[in-house]
Amino acid sequence: MNENLFASFIAPTILGLPAAVLIILFPPLLIPTSKYLINNRLITTQQWLIKLTSKQMMTMHNTKGRTWSLMLVSLIIFIATTNLLGLLPHSFTPTTQLSMNLAMAFPLWAGAVIMGFRSKIKNALAHFLPQGTPTPLIPMLVIIETISLLIQPMALAVRLTANITAGHLLMHLIGSATLAMSTINLPSTLIIFTILILLTILEIAVALIQAYVFTLLVSLYLHDNT
Amino acid sequence: MLSRVVLSAAATAAPSLKNAAFLGPGVLQATRTFHTGQPHLVPVPPLPEYGGKVRYGLIPEEFFQFLYPKTGPYVLGTGLILYALSKEIYVISAETFTALSVLGVMVYGIKKYGPFVADFADKLNEQKLAQLEEAKQASIQHIQNAIDTEKSQQALVQKRHYLFDVQRNNIAMALEVTYRERLYRVYKEVKNRLDYHISVQNMMRRKEQEHMINWVEKHVVQSISTQQEKETIAKCIADLKLLAKKAQAQPVM
Repeated sequence: MNENLFASFIAPTILGLPAAVLIILFPPLLIPTSKYLINNRLITTQQWLIKLTSKQMMTMHNTKGRTWSLMLVSLIIFIATTNLLGLLPHSFTPTTQLSMNLAMAFPLWAGAVIMGFRSKIKNALAHFLPQGTPTPLIPMLVIIETISLLIQPMALAVRLTANITAGHLLMHLIGSATLAMSTINLPSTLIIFTILILLTILEIAVALIQAYVFTLLVSLYLHDNT
Repeated sequence: MLSRVVLSAAATAAPSLKNAAFLGPGVLQATRTFHTGQPHLVPVPPLPEYGGKVRYGLIPEEFFQFLYPKTGPYVLGTGLILYALSKEIYVISAETFTALSVLGVMVYGIKKYGPFVADFADKLNEQKLAQLEEAKQASIQHIQNAIDTEKSQQALVQKRHYLFDVQRNNIAMALEVTYRERLYRVYKEVKNRLDYHISVQNMMRRKEQEHMINWVEKHVVQSISTQQEKETIAKCIADLKLLAKKAQAQPVM
């Protein structure tokens, strides 16, 4: 039982070769491209969604920040599709692996910060001290701000990992509770099953929201630094 | 790629050729041939408008048609599922209930909001087509308007001679009026001169008459001598007395 609970989080291998790469490369197959103006319904809805998200996200940036638009839009689409595909039974979600989330969060955050330090060094350093602090507190506050800046990538990665992993674990646990109760007491099984359904709806929302939050925060770091 | 190695080796061997190494990739690409395949036969066969029909969203209809002569597809499906369950090829675990709930929510969502999303996508496509259609119609309308304007202009040109006739008439009338005015003025001037002559003549005649009368009077007065004047006055006084008596006598009667 204990082994089974975390079994779905082991990076899958096929005969010793990592299949995680194939799994990560799978979601783009679900988003077709088309060179026609009028497409089928799938492509039309996907194009409309992508246009909506990109417009929504990139309006707050200036010209320099908008050079990141391809990166951010592909990021949010990747995280959203990967999370949603992970809800299917017996599937593997790459975003549950801390390694992958760190690999996504660290370069993006570092890129934004280094860009800020390279171009507008005074503004970037000014972030370390909020306005209107009393003078004796300044050294301590600088240290605190530095720590909060340095912890941003870790927070991004761990936030995404923890949310998705926790959601998957909860679904497993409640599923196994339903399984256990199905032989004992049928009405309580139905109650627990209802809870499972509600949890599924929550998970779908969480999948989308986490993608949004991740990308939004990266975009905020970008906005601060352009 | 090996040609690049050859080129760089040649550059180190002969330094004069070093500048030629920059042409290496260009030469490499120039020797690549394009368009060696057969071109598309026109007309390219059109894309199908709808995808293949599927049952339960997963299994294509052709599968059912394929199976019908041999065995019932539902019986086959049920048999396979029961076989997998009973031999524990598919184990019922916690994952089963998770799968049930996820698939249940998905099916519910698709059944409930599927047509809405389909209509939305259709509406988006229709909007795009309507925009293009609008552009085409606007262009056609513009050209039609130009044609109509041209036609009306041509029709107007046909009727231009009316305008010219009217203008000609106007000018003739103006000329006539001017001529008559001048004629009248001439008449007035001539009459003026003639009236002057007439009045001069009249005045001359009057003056001659007066002069003649004055001359006659003067000579008559001169011709009356003093003697005759006294006799005439005495006679007048006697006549007057007689008349006065006659006059006095009348009212007494």
